[in-house]
Formats: sequence, structure tokens, C-alpha cells
Amino acid sequence: MTDLAFLPWHRRLAWLLLALVLLLAIVGPWLWPDPARQDLMQFLASPSLAEPLGRDQLGRSVMARVASATRLSLGLAALCVLSAALLGSLLGVLSAWRGGLTDTLLRGVADGVLALPGLLIVLIFSAMAKGGFLTLYLGLALAQWVEYFRMTRARSRLVLASPHVEASRLLGFGPLYIVRRHLWPELSPMLLTMASFGMATAILALSTLGYVGVGLQPPAAELGLMMTEALPHYSEAPRLVLAPVAVLALTLAALVLLRPLEVTR
Amino acid sequence: MAALTQHGLARVLGQRLLQALVVSLLVATLCFVLVQQLPGDMAFRIAAGRYGYDYVDAAAAEAVRQELGLARPAWQQFAGWLQQLGQGQLGQSLVTGGAVLDEVRHHLGATLQLAAASVVLALGLGLPLGLASGLRPGGWADRLTLLWSVVLRTLPPFLLGLMLMLGLSVQLGWVPAAGHGDSGNLLLPALTLGLGLSGLTARIVRDSVLAVVQSDYYRFALTKGLSPWRAFWRHGLRNIGVTVVAYAGVQLILLIEGVVVVESLFAWPGVGHALVHAVFWRDVPMIQGCTLLLAWLFVLLNTLTDLLCLAIDPRGPAEP
Amino acid sequence: MSTLHLGGVAVYQQQHCLLQPLDLTLYPGEALTVLGESGSGKSLLAHAIMGTLPTGLRASGELRQGSQAWPLADAANRRALWGAQLAILPQEPATALDPTMRVLPQVAEGWRGAANQAHAQAHSLLGSLGLHAAQRHYPHQLSGGMAQRVAFAAATLGGAGLLLADEPSKGLDSQACATLAQLLQQHLASGQCLLTITHDIALARALGGQVLVMRGGEVVEHGPASQVLQQPRHTYTQQLLAAEPQAWPAIAHPAAGDWLLQGRGLSKAYGSQTLFRNVDIDIAAGERVALLAHSGAGKSTLGNILLGLTRADHGSVRYRDGLPRTAWQKLYQDPVQAFAPHISLHTALHDVLQRCGQPLASLETLLHRLRLSPDLLARKPSQVSGGELQRLALIRTLLLQPALLFADEPTSRLDPLTQQDTLHCLLDELARIGCALLLVTHDHALAGKATSRQLRW
Repeated sequence: MTDLAFLPWHRRLAWLLLALVLLLAIVGPWLWPDPARQDLMQFLASPSLAEPLGRDQLGRSVMARVASATRLSLGLAALCVLSAALLGSLLGVLSAWRGGLTDTLLRGVADGVLALPGLLIVLIFSAMAKGGFLTLYLGLALAQWVEYFRMTRARSRLVLASPHVEASRLLGFGPLYIVRRHLWPELSPMLLTMASFGMATAILALSTLGYVGVGLQPPAAELGLMMTEALPHYSEAPRLVLAPVAVLALTLAALVLLRPLEVTR
Repeated sequence: MAALTQHGLARVLGQRLLQALVVSLLVATLCFVLVQQLPGDMAFRIAAGRYGYDYVDAAAAEAVRQELGLARPAWQQFAGWLQQLGQGQLGQSLVTGGAVLDEVRHHLGATLQLAAASVVLALGLGLPLGLASGLRPGGWADRLTLLWSVVLRTLPPFLLGLMLMLGLSVQLGWVPAAGHGDSGNLLLPALTLGLGLSGLTARIVRDSVLAVVQSDYYRFALTKGLSPWRAFWRHGLRNIGVTVVAYAGVQLILLIEGVVVVESLFAWPGVGHALVHAVFWRDVPMIQGCTLLLAWLFVLLNTLTDLLCLAIDPRGPAEP
Repeated sequence: MSTLHLGGVAVYQQQHCLLQPLDLTLYPGEALTVLGESGSGKSLLAHAIMGTLPTGLRASGELRQGSQAWPLADAANRRALWGAQLAILPQEPATALDPTMRVLPQVAEGWRGAANQAHAQAHSLLGSLGLHAAQRHYPHQLSGGMAQRVAFAAATLGGAGLLLADEPSKGLDSQACATLAQLLQQHLASGQCLLTITHDIALARALGGQVLVMRGGEVVEHGPASQVLQQPRHTYTQQLLAAEPQAWPAIAHPAAGDWLLQGRGLSKAYGSQTLFRNVDIDIAAGERVALLAHSGAGKSTLGNILLGLTRADHGSVRYRDGLPRTAWQKLYQDPVQAFAPHISLHTALHDVLQRCGQPLASLETLLHRLRLSPDLLARKPSQVSGGELQRLALIRTLLLQPALLFADEPTSRLDPLTQQDTLHCLLDELARIGCALLLVTHDHALAGKATSRQLRW
């Protein structure tokens, strides 16, 4: 791990924000356990010491809902990114290594998927089982794998064609060695960068779907869904909208600031 | 116009056509799986779509089942599904009962209007700001566009739209919040999408300008005795264009995804709005129609950027 | 063009002096060549004169012509001279040409006279350089030598009295180098001034005139070429000249043993371009063979075919029985690219030790013999100098006790002194284990000294 003191300011801020969001996602649901328990007597109750964000239009604890939604977003996004990265980079390396027919076929499929913006794939999947966690996961992961495939394939082709891999083969080293010493050190920083980008994309897609009403369904606690549900009560209790907005913006900010600011994509 | 060779032209068109075919197959497959996944009786839903829920009974559903061959094994149904698509039949909407083709065609105009307005806005803001940033790295324009692009990346389009709506429409009452009618309605959606794209556009232009201005050939042009303006005109513009156009292809994804989100947000009656609506009602033929249209639009726009690249860069578009 | 004077030219980075103050006089028709190794600060001289130093560096001194003077500290005051009086021949002609513009307009825009004559002037200049057919080409369609001539045309069309050539022979094969020397001489013959900055002694000899030898930002010797390059006074100049392969003392080659490898009827083509056809080649144990040809003739490809790295279109290669797969090794032109970039040299070499079951002592012995400090191993490949890294690459192959080492231009990127040192190490070590050498090079003198047999086509 790099010493924090040598990081640019935005990276330090990013780690701080990420730590806060993770804290909310891990410790929050433990302190405010039940996001679904209604108490209509406490309709739009104001913040208090026990409930720092008050209660919503159904008397549910906003803190519990925000914490649970954060955990859901981060968890689902991490799962998607992990699956997509694993599938995409394995296929990418395979394609670069084998070449020939394998490469042609995989590239054909990837080209087709690339022509379908990720959000459209996720939308089709979300229609399959409305509000289903599993289908959303599948959709998000399938929308993302191709990016990992493309980048891994391109980078691996360069590495595998390089003199240093040729030298290692001449020295008698096998495929495992080439993966360990040549490919992995070259691919892992790129994969990490892409993963932080992918996390942001997945979190964004999930909340966008929730916001337009085709993602997770009520009574699930989900950031986008919470905003839509709270919008009618915006004038009485703006915090109901602002709390999920703030969490979403801070999470995305953390993921964006982790990477160099100059990245143009 | 440089080397718009027949060979390059054929290669680009062939590749993109193949891509359009593969993506159609992909969409059709996903939609077919979607039909198989739907709970309840498909025949009943289709019959209801045709005759209205009040007039459907078991006999009508059975007739539909026979007519469409819904009792056949899955692979035969799939082949039939593809065959229909191959003949250009997109079917009827399960909700309105209208032909999908007509409905989608009806929405396309609104989508193109929104997309064009946003692109014009994004370029209008992004090009000059990007140029200013690239010609003076570290200057005020550079810092402004960097901040702007970072803020936009942390701000999802629907939040930007929400803020604009709350600000311009609810608080100030300048523009109508949603709907489709007079030109004022276009302002908010186009502003949301255009502003959203402008940050990235500015940074892409900035990076391209910087790369060109610092390149060996640009410096050599200056030492040949060309004035800064002449060097920029002769060697800067076209080379900046090459990089910007190459990047534009990547950005098109954001445009298509943005169209879907922004249309839903402002109830702008385009293909994206229709798609989200169809997803909500699980109107599979409409889902397929809208997705196909958006995917084709995406491929078409990509083809255009490839051709533009081919026209201004003698080396042609980079190999994928 | 009249005589140009440069007084007290120096370059500083903050307080640190990168180029010590020096005085020069450039006479029309007489070449002035600055000779030195890379890192000697000689490129800074050209940029200081031109006013194109990178930000953070500043120049002092002045440029004088007749009664006019331009202080070098103000980079902008010479912009008006660009093209008409001052011109620079770029270091890498391939990247100095606009990739999206055809050759003719790129050259024509250098014309400083009436605009309607520009194309005609460029046309005739390109014709005189033998580039008549290439006028409508784009830069990516040009060979390295052609790009060099186009850049020359573009830089000189404006008729500048002083041409600065910064490492103009970098990356050119010997044929293109000869053409380059001719071009520069033509420029001199037309009564203009020429300042050439190079590490290429052959180019300095071909140009004649005055020679200036630089080392570490300081001039160590200055005088007429005939004197400096024939009877050098300074020890550094003497070393530099002795490092030229022509000047090397003859090297004794070990006697060839049994046959090791036989290539028969080898042919290779890429697309429609035939590299070579029907080549027969034999290499015996311990023998030293050189492959000599101009660039693009497929020397490296032939070596790769012999090693089994590339497949020949026709023909076959026979290897002597009983040798393991690792008996055939290769040394690369750019040693940095021959090591996994993110792995420390320590790890890389210890992996090889483990793989071939050699004791740590054999690595230590080799390091000692090749005068390499074991501390170097803690670094990444990119943090070690080219000469040191090439010797480490040699050690890596020696650990496997090879029977044949294919060395693909192993010293062409090194400075003359380092080249001499590295190549002698290589020959000594190969002789010690009786390993044969297949050397690919474009340097005839080098091939003549380092090998006992040369193949050319």
C-alpha cells in the first residue's frame, strides 16, 4: 500500500469518502436494523438523537433505509464487477493466447455486445423478473464483461507478442510463469482502475433503474427508489430526497477521485 | 478529403453490418428468453393485447396459442421468432395492440430531436472550452473544464436532470418541467443531456489539442517558419479532428444511455421513454422493437464516425 | 550567407549548468560537427540556438551575424528567423511529418518566397532528392530513409542560412546514412552553414570541417576534423575513436567444431514482399557467424526461423540431436524489452537459476566476471543503463549453457564505448563455454571484427 502522505489530495479524499461509505454500509444496518418496519404514527417524524435522519412517509427509519440501501448498492456492484472482471479477463487472455478461431468467435460476440449500450441490456434483464436481485445482477454483469474482455485482450496481445515473453519461452518457462510474471503485473493495475469505474457504473445503473421504476421494487430500500418515493414529500421533508442523493453522490465521488483526474472516460 | 478508398469503405461497412446483425441476434435471443421467463400465460397476454382484457377467454387464448405455435418446443419457437424478425415483422404491442413498427417510428422523431439538440449543445460548449484548455494547459479554462468533468462524473444524469428541474422549473418557473409540445419542452431534457456530455467533450478536445500541439510534426511546422495561426490551421485542426472523432465513437454509448434516462425522467415521448414504459409493462414486442432501434441507431452513428475518420485520416480508423 | 558567431552559449536548469559556456564560429560552406555520447548535453545546444528548449531550461549567450545580435536568453526573438535563416532537421523524421498531409504540401509550406511558387519549388527540390514518385504519398507510406529526405526538403526549402541537424543518422541503416551525408554536403556546397550534432564518428568524418568533442556538457577538444579525428589529443577523444569497430584490434576466434544447425532452402515473405528466398545456412559448434544486410531485408526473421520462433514459408531447419530446447538462446536489440518490465532483476534471474537448477554461486561468479555490482539486481529493468542490462541479459542466457546464441543487433543502441565493452564481454563468455554466435548487424566493420564468417544478401 502506498503511504497516504504521498498520495495527491484527491486520492486521500477518495479513500476517506470510501471509508465513510463503507462504514455506513457495514455498521449502519447493525445499528439501525430494520429498514422495512412501518410505524404510521411516526409519519415524517423529525430527526432525533436515536433517528438522526428522522422517519419517512410510512414511518420507517430513514437511517436504516439509507444504510441498507448503501449496503445493497455496494454489495451488488462489487459482485457484478467481480463476476464481469473474472469472466471478461479470462476470456480476453484466452482470446489473445489462442488466437485463430477462438479469437474470431469471441471477438464477434464482443462486437455484438458492444453495439448494445449496457443500460439496454440491464433494462431487458430487469423486465425478466421485475425487482429480482438475481436478474439485475446478471444483467449488470453481462453488460460489463465485454469491456474487460476488450481491454484484457488488447493488452495481453501486446504482452504476449513482446520480446520479453519470447525470451521467457526460450529460457524454458511455461504458460503459468508467463501469466504470473508477465501478464498479471501488466493487467492488474488496469483491472483495478476499470473495477473502480465499473463499480460506479453499476451503482449508477442500479439507482437509475430504481428511480425510473423498473429496478428493485418497493418495499426494498434502494437509493434511486427512495428518491422517487420521497419526491412527493420534498417540500415537507427535503431530507428524505437529499439523504440518498448525498450518499449516491459521495459514493460516486469516491470512486471517481480514486483514479487520476485526467482520465477521459 | 483524403483517402476514402473503396477498400477502406468496404471494410468499415462490412464490419458494421456484421455488428448490426450480431446485435440483432443478441437482442432477439434476450427477448425470446424474456418471453419464456414471463410468468402467466403468454397466449392469454397476447390475446388480451389484441382484444382487450374484458373480451378474453380461454378459447381466445387457445386460438392464439395455435395460431402462433406457442405449444411447440422452445427451439422451434425460437426459430419462428427469428424468422419473423428476419421478415421485418416486429409484432404488436401487448399493451396498446398497435403495430410495434408504427409505434417505434412515431417515437423515433422525438428521440432524434433530443439527441441532435444535446449533441449541438455539448459541442457548442465543449469545443471552445476544450480548445481554450488545450492551448493553455493549467489556465483558467483548463481548470474549469477539469472541475466540470469531475463533478459531472460524480453526478448521475438523473440527478442533474432533477436539479435542473427543481431549479429552473419549480423554483424559477422558466420552463415547463415535462411533456412534449412546444419548443420550451425540449429545453430541460436537452440541457440535461447536453450539459452531461459537455464535460467529457471538453476534456477529450483538450487532450487532443494538447497532444497535437506538443507533437513533433507540429513543432517542426513551426520551425519551418509557419506562423502559429497557419500551423494551427494546416496541421492542428485536422489532427485534432482525427482524435476527437475517434473518441466520439466511445461517447456515443453515453448519448444512447443518456437518451433513455433523460426521456424517462422528463416524459419526453421518445424511443427510450417507450422502452422503459414497455419494460414496466413487460411488453416484449415493444421492448424488442425499441432496443433494436436504439442499437441500430448506435451502430449507424458509429459507422458515420468511422467514415468521417476514414475521410480525414489517411491511415483509416484504428483496428479494433 | 555570412559568418555566424555564437558567444558564451550555455544552458542551465535553475542553478545547475547542463551545458558549459562555449564559443563557436560557423563559416559558410564549412561543416561544424559536435561529437559526443548520449547525455553529454549536445542536443541542448541545438535547442538553445533555435529557442526551443523545454520549459524549465534557460539559455544564455548570444547569436551574432554582422552587426546584429540576438541574446539567447529570450527564446522568442529568433522566431522571426525560423525557416528563412534558421532551420532544424528533426531527430525522428517519421514523427516530424504530419500524418494526415501529403508530402508535397508539407514541403511546400516551408517556402518563404512568393506563395504561388511554393509548389513548383517543392516539386523540383523533391525531384532532385529522388522523391518524385513519393510526392503524393502520406508519411506512413514512406520508408525511414525517404522520410529523412522529405524532412530535409521541408527544413531547407525556406533557404535558411544555418541548418541545425540533431542526431540525423539515428535509426538509419548504413545506406541511408550515406545518402544523408551527401545531402548535408550538398547543403554546405551551396554556401550555407551547417551545425551537426551526432554520436556517429563516420558521419563527422564524412562531413569534415571543424569537430567539437563534448563530454558531460563540456567541450574537451575542438579543431579541424582532419586533426581531431586523426591525431586526437584528449584521452576521451582517443577512447572514442578507439571504440569504433574499424579501430578494434583483431580478435582471435575459436576453431569451429561439429555441425550444430543446418537450414536448407529457407524462404519467407510478408504479403507480397519477399524477404529472402532459398537461403542455405550452416552453423558449427563454437562458430561465429554474422548476418549482414540493409534494414528490412529480413535478417532478424532468418535468425528467428533458425531458433524456431518464426515459421519459414519453405525449407527446413535441422538441429543436432541430444541438445535441450534451452540450448538455443537469443539476445535482443533493446534489452529493456527483453525483461518483464514490472519484475525486479533479482526475481527474474533467480527464477532462471531455479528453473535450470544452478547454484547461486554461478550467478555471482558471472556478475563478478562481467563487472556488474550485485546491488543492480534490486532494480527494475528500466532503471539500469543499456549496457549493464544487455550484460545481465547475457548472464541470463549463459546460465542455461546454450549451444547457440542468436544476438539480434545487441549493441546498436549503445554508445561506442559501451558497445565495445559489451561485445568483448559477450565474445569472451561464449568462448569460455564453447557457444556458437549468430550475430545480426548492419555494421560491416563490427561484423568483420566480431565474427569469422559473414553472410550477406
